[in-house]
Amino acid sequence: MTTYFGERQRVGDRFFADAQLELFGRHEIATSVLLRGISGFGAKHQLRTDRLLTLSEDLPLVSVALDSRAKIEAVADELSDLAHRGLVTLERARLVRDELGSIELPEELREATKLTVYVGRQERVYRAPAFAAICELLHRRGVDGATVFLGVDGTSHGRRSRARFFATNAEVPMMIIAVGTGQTIARVLPELGGLLRRPMVSVERVRVCKRDGELINRPHPLPCRDHLGTPLWQKLMVYTSERSRRGGEPIHRALVRRLRASAARGATVLRGIWGFHGQLPPHGDRIWQLGRSVPVCTIIIDSPDRIGASFDIVDELTTEHGVVTSEMVPALAWVTEDRPTSRPRLARHRF
Amino acid sequence: MNLLLWVGVALAGGAGALLRFLVDGQVSARVGRSFPYGTLVVNVSGAVALGLLIGMTLRPETVLLAGTGAVGAYTTFSTWMFETQRLGEDRQLTGLLSNIVVSLLAGILAAEVGAEVGRALGGAL
Repeated sequence: MTTYFGERQRVGDRFFADAQLELFGRHEIATSVLLRGISGFGAKHQLRTDRLLTLSEDLPLVSVALDSRAKIEAVADELSDLAHRGLVTLERARLVRDELGSIELPEELREATKLTVYVGRQERVYRAPAFAAICELLHRRGVDGATVFLGVDGTSHGRRSRARFFATNAEVPMMIIAVGTGQTIARVLPELGGLLRRPMVSVERVRVCKRDGELINRPHPLPCRDHLGTPLWQKLMVYTSERSRRGGEPIHRALVRRLRASAARGATVLRGIWGFHGQLPPHGDRIWQLGRSVPVCTIIIDSPDRIGASFDIVDELTTEHGVVTSEMVPALAWVTEDRPTSRPRLARHRF
Repeated sequence: MNLLLWVGVALAGGAGALLRFLVDGQVSARVGRSFPYGTLVVNVSGAVALGLLIGMTLRPETVLLAGTGAVGAYTTFSTWMFETQRLGEDRQLTGLLSNIVVSLLAGILAAEVGAEVGRALGGAL
């Protein structure tokens, strides 16, 4: 389950984000992480950006929660009662925990695979930070790209830990998203199992649309509804770097501007702290530098009939850099104040 | 200097800050670009207003209330600098330099125009 909300939203006397993570903790969700976005816009096309002081007052928040279907559906039900405004999507993913020895990927995961690894902020692998060690391994094994996102709150193996200002925050989760061919990911998995003490990873099927400017595949042409009439949705994820620019501005800024001027229903930009895509070795920010060089990820969710137009904009802006993936989102619910939301039904569609 | 004046400066300051929030928010949301037009509009219009006040040679209390209180809270140096630094983070060197140069030149010009108009008005009163 992934949720997209504004960070100022409140429930009673506390922030919605806090209430949401408390809910995840209460249900002992296997893994969840709360991420702060740097810019974006929603259905109302209201721009939020960390660039301008006045427009940075209600930046987007993204939460990702992973567990069995029954647990996630129970949480999603409570969540839609709690929230006023936002977006909830449900995705199918395969969660692998603790035992990462011999994993046999099903046929459909062989095309391209999104691998997500969850580690603690202070987790270490042979004295190196776990996230850097994992990126190094993924880069060496020829994975297309990986981005590390710093969580500010989350649950890990069912236990909640929230980042505080004066604390070591060792257990607060980080999320590493990597994209590669099914074979590469399958080969990397046992090695990851050897690196981490209690691994927690998920694998999902995606399609790699672009890599370093080269168009590989357009997003799957999907119908707007499955055979039972349940609506389907699609998600594009654009991995670029603060360093990769288009006409003077970073690609993700141009992307948000262009998408906002189009009919797209929304976009959210998350900034990573470390990562790589393509040939560049894993990198992050250095101290005393003005220009940033960390990786960023732009998430675009829309219905299959509109995603093509958004993809054209993405395609036009990523002529040299970046990895673009597309995936199916089988269930989505807009949460609004005036309309009661029911839990979205999972659509079934094979492609 | 009395209590009334203190309260007056606080209230005028509050109003100025609110006005900036509204103007900046409106301009930035309309333009929707990474160049901080909102702050530029706020600072330049504030410079005109202050020039006008000074040019009109009003009573010192009025200048304190309207100038230091309202215009002082309305305009912002820190946001100007912060947003310039953010342009640097995005490697937008042209944006960074033009934000500094344009703000400076337009600001001085605005203050001068305000002062001239103020003097003309002050003479007429």
